[in-house]
Amino acid sequence: MKGRYLFPVMAATGALLVVASLSSGTVMVNPLSIPGILLSPGDFPHDALLLSLRLPRIGMSLLVGASLAASGAVFQAVLKNPLADPYLIGVSGGGALGATAAIVLSLAYPLVVACAFIGSLAVVSAVYLMSRRLRFGTTSLLLSGIALSFVFSSAVLLIFAFAGPDKVHKAVMWLMGDLSIARYEILPQMAVLCAVLCAAACFFATHLDVISFGDSFAANLGVRPSSLQALFWTASMLAAVSVSLCGVIGFVGLVVPHFMRRVAGPGHRTLLPASCLCGALFLMSADTIGRSIVPPFEIPVGVITGFIGGVFFLVYMLAKGEYRI
Amino acid sequence: MSSPLYGLAGVRAGYDGVTVLKGLDVVIESGAFVSIIGPNGSGKSTLLKVLAGDLRVTAGTVSFRGAPLASMGRSGLASERAVVHQFLEHTPPFTVREFVRLGRFPHRRFRDEGAASREAFAWTVERTGIAPFLDRRIDELSGGELQMVRIAHALAQNSDVILLDEPVSHLDMSHTIRIMDLLYDLHRRGSTVIAVMHDVNVASDYSSLVLGIREGAAVFYDAPEKVLRYDRLESLFDARCVTIDNPITGRPFNYPVPGHVK
Repeated sequence: MKGRYLFPVMAATGALLVVASLSSGTVMVNPLSIPGILLSPGDFPHDALLLSLRLPRIGMSLLVGASLAASGAVFQAVLKNPLADPYLIGVSGGGALGATAAIVLSLAYPLVVACAFIGSLAVVSAVYLMSRRLRFGTTSLLLSGIALSFVFSSAVLLIFAFAGPDKVHKAVMWLMGDLSIARYEILPQMAVLCAVLCAAACFFATHLDVISFGDSFAANLGVRPSSLQALFWTASMLAAVSVSLCGVIGFVGLVVPHFMRRVAGPGHRTLLPASCLCGALFLMSADTIGRSIVPPFEIPVGVITGFIGGVFFLVYMLAKGEYRI
Repeated sequence: MSSPLYGLAGVRAGYDGVTVLKGLDVVIESGAFVSIIGPNGSGKSTLLKVLAGDLRVTAGTVSFRGAPLASMGRSGLASERAVVHQFLEHTPPFTVREFVRLGRFPHRRFRDEGAASREAFAWTVERTGIAPFLDRRIDELSGGELQMVRIAHALAQNSDVILLDEPVSHLDMSHTIRIMDLLYDLHRRGSTVIAVMHDVNVASDYSSLVLGIREGAAVFYDAPEKVLRYDRLESLFDARCVTIDNPITGRPFNYPVPGHVK
């Protein structure tokens, strides 16, 4: 499904999924009444539910899904590893420590976001500085990221060991990745930030093509280390923003770009926008399932992405018969 | 007199404190076909990296068209020469067409491919004869086809100065001849070809100059007729060999003698 059919098909599917997501949840709304509610709010019984709860939540899931998928696509090219994901360099570890500390100290939600963001950026900066000493190679990035992840997750567990059970539960919900805790007032600002970062990644699409062949290949074609660093920061910021907004949502950043590479081909000019679109729709659908499947309870979206995504990908791999990385 | 393409004087270079090139002086004129030969670990690939601008020298000077090579930026250098490394580290499943087009990366314009790039692409495809498999994936090509495609990629990047690290050492006879003929033809049309060669006899048949390196220093640098003789080769490789003249090319042809390693 390469080329001209891909985006129309994805856009049409996306529109249907958005409508389905708006109408489902603990209260089901007739999909046919949705255009009316959106156009003239106030005349329908469920308009507050739709406009102030579901719509911003869908917006947030689209935003975070697109950011995670774009971040994963960039990391997979920069690290020359199709199994790389946005959390591999430790963004989630730093975010988790920041958020856990804030939650255990009973800080308000905006401060949890701020602490998570500071934690993520601290890890990214540390990985950046460490690997720059080691000439910014793939292995040095990965190893410093993995080492720091361990340090930070130990710190999180240490906090758990001393915190009260209710706070630990709140923090664990955050660690699972939960869109219900997201703060929707900052949605427009975050949308602009993520759009700028995704556009920056797309601007470097040809660089990413070249980089994915290896370091000496890229050096021969004149790719500067500064471009690699710009890409590293772009992808890290996308991951950091996502983690701080709604916790550690796994799977999207790893498998969406990996899967789209098979559907849309390896060229980043197509792969990046396709991954953004697919990641956005995937996260929204997963969240819709999470808040509709066992009413009145909600399952955190991170649980759904991991479960559905993992099963889907296993089935896809088995159905394909062959699997090469 | 115009300055040579490359001028190396007292070049020392290496990795992490290990010096591989130990004071190399070489001048390469524009339009030459230079083969670099020598035992494994003698510094052939290191020299190629220095010429490519990928490795900074620790002592000595390298000039490129009269200016210090180090003063040229990475992207500036990328449109002045093309490098075909020994292996492709990764082969993401791009098509041959996309891969060869990536050779135009240093010449890219914002969005528009540009007439020069379209022309260079068409010329490259015609020269290398890769038209039949333009739409195949590079990770599904045979070794010989991939090597030709990689040379096409290099030609799309720059066809004036081409640096190659063992371009034919793992190829069958027909692909070897095809690729060497193409490089020779480019050299006759004025391109400078500099290749690390594994096979002394292939180097002999095609090069205008052969540079013999041993332990990071030049042992000889002259026309193949003069230096690819058993006496010079025996001291370069520590093996015994017999030299005859290749009846087809008239160039020296060397047989190693089994059971005789110094």
